[in-house]
Amino acid sequence: MKKTTIIIAVVAVLAVIILWGISVNNRLVTKDEGVQQAWAQVENVYKRRLDLVPQLVATVQGAADYERSVLTEVTNARAGVEQTRVNPEELSEEQIRGYQQAQDRLSKAMANTIKVTVERYPELTATQGFRDLQTQLEGTENRIAVERGKFNEAVQSYNTSLRRFPASIIAGICGFEKKGYFTAPEEAAEPVKVEFDF
Amino acid sequence: MKHWFTALLLLCCLSLRAQSEWTPANTGHLVNDYSGILSTEQVSTLEQRLEAFSDSTSNQVLIVITPTLYGDDEDAVAQRIGQAWGVGQADFDNGVVILVKSKTADENWGAVAIATGYGVEGALPDLFCKRIIDDHMIGPLGDGDYYRAFCSALDIMLPVLSGEYSYAQYRKDRRRSALLSLGVLVLFFGVIVVALVRYAKKHPDQWRNNGRGGGGMFFGGPIGGGSSWGGSSWGGGSSWGGFGGGSFGGGGASGRF
Repeated sequence: MKKTTIIIAVVAVLAVIILWGISVNNRLVTKDEGVQQAWAQVENVYKRRLDLVPQLVATVQGAADYERSVLTEVTNARAGVEQTRVNPEELSEEQIRGYQQAQDRLSKAMANTIKVTVERYPELTATQGFRDLQTQLEGTENRIAVERGKFNEAVQSYNTSLRRFPASIIAGICGFEKKGYFTAPEEAAEPVKVEFDF
Repeated sequence: MKHWFTALLLLCCLSLRAQSEWTPANTGHLVNDYSGILSTEQVSTLEQRLEAFSDSTSNQVLIVITPTLYGDDEDAVAQRIGQAWGVGQADFDNGVVILVKSKTADENWGAVAIATGYGVEGALPDLFCKRIIDDHMIGPLGDGDYYRAFCSALDIMLPVLSGEYSYAQYRKDRRRSALLSLGVLVLFFGVIVVALVRYAKKHPDQWRNNGRGGGGMFFGGPIGGGSSWGGSSWGGGSSWGGFGGGSFGGGGASGRF
């Protein structure tokens, strides 16, 4: 009589633990999906920028004596981005870091192109084509910032539930891994001074 | 000039902007004037128009006027407001936020940003938003006529959102009106030239001495027909159903005045 009570109690506790484990696992799967979806958006907006690069190059090439080195830098940075592969199922910290480094290099090269254009080829900046491109680039940068923010939020939520005890035990058993964040690039850590002329 | 620098700033430090995040609390209203610039009547007229538009098409356009952005970027603030308040329907993400940072004594510059929800990025591409800002809002905003700026922006935006009008059509019309203005300009100059020639023929001596008195002509370009939206009342003020939970991905454009 007593033995059966103990057995029933043990089975009940085990059942509760298993049910809890399943629910934790499911929650993590949902959050993992959320992260992957956010990642798809991040790739979308970066792709959008990548597509604007040839347009940027074509626009500034209009100036006959346009500095070659600047364009080479952009083209190389673009190629670098295209070579970076990220596994959306994994999104580990070093993958995100590598991806971000390649994208930041492209950011810098594009910013440099625009800077050089503004400084040395003012007649180009007055054209409607360049202005339209400028608007599109601004919009793309805004989208990148937004999607990166949303991705980081999704990752934070995922990582938090992953590492919190006792869910971390289930995460360990089921093989969930921590995911990487986007971070602010080092150069941006200090405020950039920009003078507006109104 | 400022556009290039804005873009440079964005390109250089897009992660910087996430640091000072100001988002006003959701008021549940479609017109929010924190600067106290619009009159009560103007606010209710705009609000009725936008509520009616939301009720009939489910597209939601939110207007926010603020005296300060707390050091943040107008695009970012507009996007965050849209996301946080859930402007537009959750299923369609068909919300638009028009944010104006008014000129104040402390900060003597104004800014305007249009943020588009994911679902209306197609109907209102960034370039279109930029045109609306540059050609229809900056002018009246610079003159301090905020109400007219909103009216003329809505006059263009609402038909586009409800699908009655498209960006392609807008460009075509603009080109036509530009051609028309060019024609008027040519005619105008023609009349002046003819008058001058006649004058010169009549008084040959004077003409030789004075030379040309170059006229500083400035051509401002056509500004879309005045805000002709009367205050026709839409009855049932409280039929407005509230924000629907739309999502924003950073689409839109901005400008300064």
